[in-house]
Amino acid sequence: MDSTVEQISDALKSVFGKLEEKFGARLLGSSVFRGELTFLVAPEDLVEVATYCKAPEGLGFDRLEFLTGNHYPERIEQPFEVAVQLTSMATNDRLRLKVPLKEGQKMPTLSSLWPAANWCERETWEMYGIEFEGHPNLIRLLTDADFEGHPLRKDFPVRGLVGGRIRTDLKGKI
Amino acid sequence: MTSPQDPRHPHINGEMVREASEREVRMLAEGNVDRPEEHVPGVAIPAQLEKLLGFGRSFSWWPLLFGLACCAIEMMATAGPRYDMSRFGMEAMRASPRQADGMIVAGWCSIKMAPRVVRLYEQIPDPKWVLAMGSCAISGNVWDTYNVVQGIDSLIPVDVYVPGCPPRPEALWQGLEMLRDKVKQSDHAYDRVRVIPARAAIGE
Repeated sequence: MDSTVEQISDALKSVFGKLEEKFGARLLGSSVFRGELTFLVAPEDLVEVATYCKAPEGLGFDRLEFLTGNHYPERIEQPFEVAVQLTSMATNDRLRLKVPLKEGQKMPTLSSLWPAANWCERETWEMYGIEFEGHPNLIRLLTDADFEGHPLRKDFPVRGLVGGRIRTDLKGKI
Repeated sequence: MTSPQDPRHPHINGEMVREASEREVRMLAEGNVDRPEEHVPGVAIPAQLEKLLGFGRSFSWWPLLFGLACCAIEMMATAGPRYDMSRFGMEAMRASPRQADGMIVAGWCSIKMAPRVVRLYEQIPDPKWVLAMGSCAISGNVWDTYNVVQGIDSLIPVDVYVPGCPPRPEALWQGLEMLRDKVKQSDHAYDRVRVIPARAAIGE
């Protein structure tokens, strides 16, 4: 336990202790920033950890606030990261789980635990190309159905130099 | 009494007429002029009547109730009590394109919205006028990205452009005044080009 853990609330300290006790070395790491607790979780452990976090007899983080992705090209080994923000409606505590991923590595879906994860995962897949195994409907959410590429990756061109002024094929759509 | 003829429209004996279709030209060449047309697209309206219609239309131009982004907020302000479009007969923003006389494209248009914009435009009955409001609708503004149509006039014919980010209600109002002048003259962009750019782009 590093010194920054002293900054968090007593409730979160108990969450920290329980998670460390139950999963121990399987957790890849933890950090505290401005009183917020974050755990790094390997993708193969995610469903188990999330189930324990959600269960009322576990930690009781019953609400998934958001699930989103990140791309850090400077991290050569694991450039992608999926962040899951959880809230406990009973105690108003917040817990963040982060899953570092390699290029092309898949991670399990959380949509069976929290139905709200369904669209979040669709968007994360669409924008970063992170595939969620077991997702019931992994199709594009925001962009056109025939769009190619994952636009929030840092290597995606910022300026749209292809496709002319309309940038889509309207054939069959109008 | 003869009226000053609009050079954009062909006139015969002071009456505005439409151009002959390809089929009619072919029939004329084949000497089949006496055979009645099965289907005549469009009607020839005398220029005087057209003027009267334009005058009437210009005082009851009902735009489509349709906003895409932040410019729509300024459009709503124009419709609200402070600027009050209804003083000029534009208060009835129709929620159905079938009842509208044109559209104000207010805001940036994503490529997913593009087919819907074209469909809404095509569902508005003729004659129709289009006002592109704001830099994004005109050119895409700073959104030179994968997801934004670079100017709404690549999709549909546009009559008046109102620049600004977003334009204030006064600017929109000036644009609407320019539009009203065009309505009075029964002069709309589609009439001049006779092509919908989105259709032309896919060869239809």
